Amino acid sequence: MSGHSTWPEWVYVGVVVALLCYVGAEAWNIERIVEHVPEDAEIIKVTGQQWIWTFEHEDGTKEIGELHVERGKAYKFEITSKDVIHSFNIHDYVVLLDAVPGRVNTVWFSPTEAGEFDIQCREYCGLIHYNMRGTLIVEDKGA
Amino acid sequence: MKVIIGLGVVLALLVVIPSVQYVLAAGDSTGEYLDRRVVIWGLFYRLMIVAFTVGTVVSGLIVWLVLRFRESNPKAKPTSYEAAGSW
Repeated sequence: MSGHSTWPEWVYVGVVVALLCYVGAEAWNIERIVEHVPEDAEIIKVTGQQWIWTFEHEDGTKEIGELHVERGKAYKFEITSKDVIHSFNIHDYVVLLDAVPGRVNTVWFSPTEAGEFDIQCREYCGLIHYNMRGTLIVEDKGA
Repeated sequence: MKVIIGLGVVLALLVVIPSVQYVLAAGDSTGEYLDRRVVIWGLFYRLMIVAFTVGTVVSGLIVWLVLRFRESNPKAKPTSYEAAGSW
């Protein structure tokens, strides 16, 4: 190698390292914020099985295929599976987490709009996977 | 070497240290209600801006290099080896 200047290469390396630091820090920060559950969140047990979703509220109320929640309230889902791996997804609220047999995964959300939203399995789980759906019904308080 | 160290210090001051502080301070305001859609899609769009900016700069640089240093460019000069006719 001749004695040419290498500063452009070092600038390039520095910029790449700086960008990686920014991307990593930003993603880590958001993950921490999103994963921290509010203290007053109501726990809902979610169980996936071929090919339905069942829900159990804190007061013992059970629902199959439908989930009723209140707008503006926080809910923590405890998600598990009875048979194979499923994935619990409420697309409109960016909720997505695997339901794994023998394991409880948690995710929380707080619905901001009243209405009906799709619940869908997002992990191929057998013949009727495509139709392993449910409905999230968000109601105004007192409705 | 001095230039490299200097550049490293400048980058650390401008980017790395603020990033670390920003992350460490984030724990103070968590546990509050938030709209996952806003937070997660916001992150997605910010990172897409970074990705597309990098892609634009890198691909633009490559295009410029290829055009500028092609043999047929009127501004092209022979390398020292080519000028000497032997290598």
